[in-house]
Amino acid sequence: MKQHGKTFIYTRRIIVVAAVLLVYIWAFAGLPLLELKETSGEIVSAIFSGLFQPDWGYVYDPGGEDLLRGLLDTLAIALLGTFIASVLCIPFSFMASKNIAKTKTMVGSSKFVLSFIRVFPDIVLALLFIKAVGPGAFAGVLALGIGAVGMLGKLISESVEGIDLSAREALIATGGNPVKTFMFAIVPQVLPNFFSFVLYRFEVNLRAATILGVIGAGGIGTPLIFALSVRDWGRVGIILLGIIVMVTLIDAISGKIRARLV
Amino acid sequence: MIEFKNVSKVYPNGTRGLNNVDLRVDDGEFVVVVGLSGAGKSTFLRSINRLHEITEGEILINGESITKAGGSELYRIRRDIGMIFQNFNLVRRSSVMRNVLSGRVGYHSTLRMIFGLFPKEDKELAMRALERVNMPEKAYMRADELSGGQQQRVSIARALAQEATQILADEPVASLDPMTTKQVMDDLARINKELNMTMIVNLHFIDVARKYATRIIGLKEGEVVFDGPVEEATDDVFSEIYGRPVNEDELMGEA
Ligand SMILES: Nc1ncnc2c1ncn2[C@@H]1O[C@H](COP(=O)(O)OP(=O)(O)OP(=O)(O)O)[C@@H](O)[C@H]1O
Ligand SMILES: [Mg+2]
Repeated sequence: MKQHGKTFIYTRRIIVVAAVLLVYIWAFAGLPLLELKETSGEIVSAIFSGLFQPDWGYVYDPGGEDLLRGLLDTLAIALLGTFIASVLCIPFSFMASKNIAKTKTMVGSSKFVLSFIRVFPDIVLALLFIKAVGPGAFAGVLALGIGAVGMLGKLISESVEGIDLSAREALIATGGNPVKTFMFAIVPQVLPNFFSFVLYRFEVNLRAATILGVIGAGGIGTPLIFALSVRDWGRVGIILLGIIVMVTLIDAISGKIRARLV
Repeated sequence: MIEFKNVSKVYPNGTRGLNNVDLRVDDGEFVVVVGLSGAGKSTFLRSINRLHEITEGEILINGESITKAGGSELYRIRRDIGMIFQNFNLVRRSSVMRNVLSGRVGYHSTLRMIFGLFPKEDKELAMRALERVNMPEKAYMRADELSGGQQQRVSIARALAQEATQILADEPVASLDPMTTKQVMDDLARINKELNMTMIVNLHFIDVARKYATRIIGLKEGEVVFDGPVEEATDDVFSEIYGRPVNEDELMGEA
């Protein structure tokens, strides 16, 4: 019997390894041959020299568009988008929780809406909103605001499903109406996780917001794509530096806060 | 005062939880409800504040029908009835103070409670309630940092802060050891005497029931098979309620 089980495990392993190998072979076979143009080397060295000699003058320019303004815009898009998502996800989180929602249909349909939203990458949503409300930061805010509902709703509803409902009974017994019962027996159990997930999503949204400008949805991505298209490597360099500093800084702060929450 | 008027309860699956219960509990009584597992003790208790709906008859609290009450009227009647659970049912993440204060939610507007704004008098009241169960120094600890016995006393303080006139306790000591059982039962007895609060307590241990009760109600398959002062609840009566001689494990021993 034991011998049998071992053979089975080995066969299964061999099959898995073989399958993975096949996929790799198939994937690489489809790649066009890498060809280096004569200019490739030049461009790479130009990029590097730009990155190491960033255009410091772009950081702050009282007259026009500058790095700080671009970064601030990006931060604002991420903040607003996360805020909108954090509000929108609340009803879905509870309606998708088996222990709170009244009917299975409600749980099922809410879960469906949440996974439907999760299907769309932020970029696709942004493209849709650009069509709907025109290019600019507003489209970016909407894309992040709607896009994050899927993930936040799923995570929060999972945490709601794990809470202890016995206190709810106690609050009903003291004469609390459903709203009071909810505020006292449910909210304190969900709040720390809620804030932690929202902060985490804010970190994700900030990264997404830096890209959104590339397709015209506001933020630092727009000057980045312009600088790239005119091969202004010094400017590309300073913008990338700016993004790195901002993202690292926000991650560090948000991570510290999250560690204290849970 | 709690009155049962021909109360029956049939669960949706057909189980008879209560069968034609007709009795009255006067203010200040210390009633202990006994019976085998499944006899309907929890059903009896939970029908009083309508955590369970009854299917026949009527229950009156201080003369008012809780059975017919709806909406805010129901909430107001429930406010007069404190409840203590076997598993304490505290909000474990919240502070002891906040748990005790949650007994006050029935006294304030929903909007006020959404923001958790309790008046100063409520906080003083909650503190006095904690003093009554000898735990004022634990007020700002988290509920889940306390021992089982301490958590149960917090839940008693919650019922006190509620300024209820009756307290229902469903197996309040079933998850406690003999030492803490004595503390918790002594608390209930003291509150019953000093504040004249009615106690209706489901208990498993016969000796604990005899020590604290003024009146015993025996349930069997949803029916009241004994109802009388504790002096009349002899061993024979208990064997009748249980349908067999009293077992060793129905005696706690040390309490
Ligand atoms: N939600 C329910 N649905 C159907 N039947 C139930 C339900 N709750 C309780 N019952 C049944 O009703 C009867 C009385 O149950 P109850 O919980 O009141 O007993 P109990 O005396 O409190 O028992 P225990 O000592 O085990 O707590 C039992 O037969 C039980 O199986
Ligand atoms: Mg029970």
